[in-house]
Amino acid sequence: MAAAAPRLAEERVGQVVLPGDVLLLPSQPEEDGERLRLAPSGPQKGRLVCGPGLRRGGEGLLVTKCGLLRYRGPAGQAGGGTGSGSGGTYWVDSQQKRYVPVKGDHVIGIVTVKAGDIFKLDVGGSEQASLSYLAFEGATKRNRPNVQVGDLIYGQFIVANKDMEPEMVCIDSSGRANGMGIIGQDGFLFKVSLGLIRKLLAPACEIIQDLGQLYPFELVLGMNGRIWVKAKTIQQTLIVANILEACEHMTAEQRKHAVARLSES
Amino acid sequence: METEQKRFDSGDLPALRRILCEQGLLSRPDGSASWIQGDTSVLVGIYGPTEVKVSKEIYDKATFEVLLKPKIGLPGVYERSREQMIKKTCEAVVLGTLHPRSSITIVIQVVTDAGSLLSSCLNATCMGLVDAGLPMNSLFCGVTCALDADGNITLDPAMKQEKEARAVLTFAIDSAEKKILMSNTKGSCSVEELQQCIAASQRAADTIFQFYRDSAHRKYSKW
Amino acid sequence: MAAAGGFRTVEPLEYYRRFLKENCRPDGRELGEFRTTTVNVGSITTADGSALVKLGNTTVICGIKAEFAVPPVDSSNKGYIVPNVDLPLLCSSRFRPGPPGEEAQAASQFMADVIENSQVVMKEDLCIVDGKLAWVLYCDMICLDYDGNLLDACMCAFLAALKNVQLPAVSINEETGLAEVNLKEKTPLTIRKEPVAASFILFDSLLIVDPTAEEEDLATGTVTIVTDEEGKLCAVHKPGGSTLTGAKLQDCISRAVTRHKEVKKLLDKLIKSKKAK
Repeated sequence: MAAAAPRLAEERVGQVVLPGDVLLLPSQPEEDGERLRLAPSGPQKGRLVCGPGLRRGGEGLLVTKCGLLRYRGPAGQAGGGTGSGSGGTYWVDSQQKRYVPVKGDHVIGIVTVKAGDIFKLDVGGSEQASLSYLAFEGATKRNRPNVQVGDLIYGQFIVANKDMEPEMVCIDSSGRANGMGIIGQDGFLFKVSLGLIRKLLAPACEIIQDLGQLYPFELVLGMNGRIWVKAKTIQQTLIVANILEACEHMTAEQRKHAVARLSES
Repeated sequence: METEQKRFDSGDLPALRRILCEQGLLSRPDGSASWIQGDTSVLVGIYGPTEVKVSKEIYDKATFEVLLKPKIGLPGVYERSREQMIKKTCEAVVLGTLHPRSSITIVIQVVTDAGSLLSSCLNATCMGLVDAGLPMNSLFCGVTCALDADGNITLDPAMKQEKEARAVLTFAIDSAEKKILMSNTKGSCSVEELQQCIAASQRAADTIFQFYRDSAHRKYSKW
Repeated sequence: MAAAGGFRTVEPLEYYRRFLKENCRPDGRELGEFRTTTVNVGSITTADGSALVKLGNTTVICGIKAEFAVPPVDSSNKGYIVPNVDLPLLCSSRFRPGPPGEEAQAASQFMADVIENSQVVMKEDLCIVDGKLAWVLYCDMICLDYDGNLLDACMCAFLAALKNVQLPAVSINEETGLAEVNLKEKTPLTIRKEPVAASFILFDSLLIVDPTAEEEDLATGTVTIVTDEEGKLCAVHKPGGSTLTGAKLQDCISRAVTRHKEVKKLLDKLIKSKKAK
């Protein structure tokens, strides 16, 4: 049978799912449905979060993207496919090129327009993001940040939904830059697939660790698939960029081999 | 070497010609697919969701645009009508409401036409949409049936069989409930023959959906 | 009344759903009811055949002009039929002036497909001298008022106009080798099949017959079925939209067959009254 019959979501974790597949959820007591909760922060125990690539359908979850089904347990511990079944987060890990802004994502934008108090940034989505001149660390009406058209900016989305213009800031909730802001003059910007970026941003990513052993370099990773690299010389910068770009197709072994050969020379 | 690995081959199929598919072969578009069905070959590139022209903007859903490029010459009235069918099929399947005020452009280039062109275009488009990662509520596939003078059904006919046929019917079928999304007929047939063709197409659709699934497994297995 | 009008503008979909719940439509029809169809033939005297069809508000005029042409090289005993659907700005504000838009082109292609599929006129009948001279029928369908269900109206206008065509007798002058037209001796075309279209829209899971322009905009899909007088299918045209089961399609077909009988009756009556004159 080609169209997979609806199966329990937990059975399919780690497997490839296709649009139109239905994932059943174990029946759970409905008592915590709409009850007012005192601490509304983060996924609660027993509460199911429907991540990217999934939608709530009639009897469970409807898959809308092709990719690998992933699951994280309710308490935040990774893996654990056969969890309690009463909560946690399901999502589809898919390979995609086009970025769609998501609230909270850190991205690299290119300034395209300076319009009065607002900068317009190209972030690779369907619409340009706006960035207020006050959304920089230490910026005031008098002390404007020095932003020019063509500059690269590393920032975070505070507004990103389908009905509104996305809005970025370069400060965190306490007003600190926290690494965000204008990216320096030199360096090299290139694009990779969104799947690779997620892999690179995963905690303890092997690729970054391997590269780090070669020589020191600066690296900025944007969730929109943009990577900015800067090393001591242009040649070194390009080497890092080329390896990262090639990671798209290379297996872990091939990569290790390539890095080893580089460190010899 | 890279492309050899990426290309997915169906091998011999029951009642259908051999299928070859390769996803993500073009670097610039957001999604791309090459679809070879027998000797018919189609290439699809998809851009989206991207910025949309103000005149074409729809406030509550994405604007679809389908461009069908024939092998030789400029697209004409025939291509326009095919574009319209493919466009409306995609609109029914892709969740356009999730990307309002944006455009999704689908460019289909015919490489060789050796029969069952419309169904190949539909299949290629579906694989392209999957590659682009656009949200869809189900997959779809295209199946062409040819009816000869005695009323025998040939699935996925080649050019010669299509020319000799009394009627050629093309359906787009969705993966969720195997219902008919699109239908196009050439020649005349009786009601019973139509129903037989629908049943045969639904069976063939199973084979194609299984191919989609295998091809996706292959793509994600080494990731 | 004013409140209802406001509701209609703000929430057209919800407004329409309320009607469907009661099994009727805003214009007072039942779900399976066609609008009043009126046909008038021979209204354009300069054309070789013409017809004006009104389907509720939707008005389509079809004029057929016959001209001489050299038959195609690959089939020397055939003539040509060239259908063209025109949707001018005149008929609805949704169309733009300039070259034909997507809808007009798709409709033209649909008409060409149906003519080819149904064999309404054998192209061999249009040949005058094998390999030398043949008739080419330019069938122009112009929409004067667009209120949905364009294809049904075009199909009906085309068939009525075709029945109205009178081709003059042609003889070849043996001395000069030129064609001579005898305008006094006119014969009607041999019409082999009578294709009639019936269009439906899909609304959620409901089938609604003969949609208006407003209904077409709200609908999630359309189906057009063309049948001939033997109940054979000449076209099952469903350009995408929401899904349909085989059983639902069967329902469409049986309704299309009933519609065929109605339209045929109407046309036969019209032709008879024309002859009586």
